[in-house]
Amino acid sequence: MNHHQPIDRDTCRREKMQLRALDFAIQETVLFLDAYPEHPQALAYYHRLCEERRELLAKHEKHCGPVSMYGNANQNAWDWVKGPWPWEPDAN
Amino acid sequence: MWTYEKKLQYPVKIKNPNPKLAQIIISQLGGPDGEIGASMRYLHQRYSMPYGQVVGILTDVGTEELAHMEMVSAIIHQLTRNLSEDEIAKSPFATYFVDHTTGVYPVAASGVPYDMKYIGVKGDVIADLNEDLAAEQKARVTYDNILRLIDDPDVCDPIKFLREREVVHYQRFAERVQSG
Repeated sequence: MNHHQPIDRDTCRREKMQLRALDFAIQETVLFLDAYPEHPQALAYYHRLCEERRELLAKHEKHCGPVSMYGNANQNAWDWVKGPWPWEPDAN
Repeated sequence: MWTYEKKLQYPVKIKNPNPKLAQIIISQLGGPDGEIGASMRYLHQRYSMPYGQVVGILTDVGTEELAHMEMVSAIIHQLTRNLSEDEIAKSPFATYFVDHTTGVYPVAASGVPYDMKYIGVKGDVIADLNEDLAAEQKARVTYDNILRLIDDPDVCDPIKFLREREVVHYQRFAERVQSG
């Protein structure tokens, strides 16, 4: 059984900020790659960031709840519907 | 298709509600150069775009605009929390409140609801990309104007982020026009 491990809100908030920062770097790289699809440094940077994101996301969703509908790690409860929602100050 | 991510692209955390600011900033949700129009414009221009690289940019920028729509809505929501009836009555937000209470409904600062007439889909590469360049600049000017009218750092911070994204998107579209 996969037990949900609750962790303090500050850790979750800090991890979410790291995720935002990574996603921002990926977003910028994606827009660049749309224009320069064969740029070797941009491609290497993209792959490195995506790997880092996969690791952080798996860790984050395990103890802080799902970021997308695919990430509800808790086998015993549907955490997706639990707040705070992104537009609430406590989520930021 | 799209998949929702349960986080804002950039954090919005406003300590002091202020309905007057909300009434100004809501233009970047439902106004002529707002984020709903931006996402609708780019996502709908894709179908007649013959170049994969431009379709990619329209898809990725159009999707990012949806995230900006949510950020602007979060700003409006947080600026209109916990208000007393007196605070609302004394604010220009009162005319919005009478119709929408503190729900987030897409209107321009003037109160005109969002209209798809704000955007263009001409089905022509040059016409559509030039529309996109102008749109990014008009949105940038609107954020400049908002920054002229507000001074709460909690609000200015995400607004500056959104303004900067207009500049980056303009650059990406401009490269496509130049390489054309």
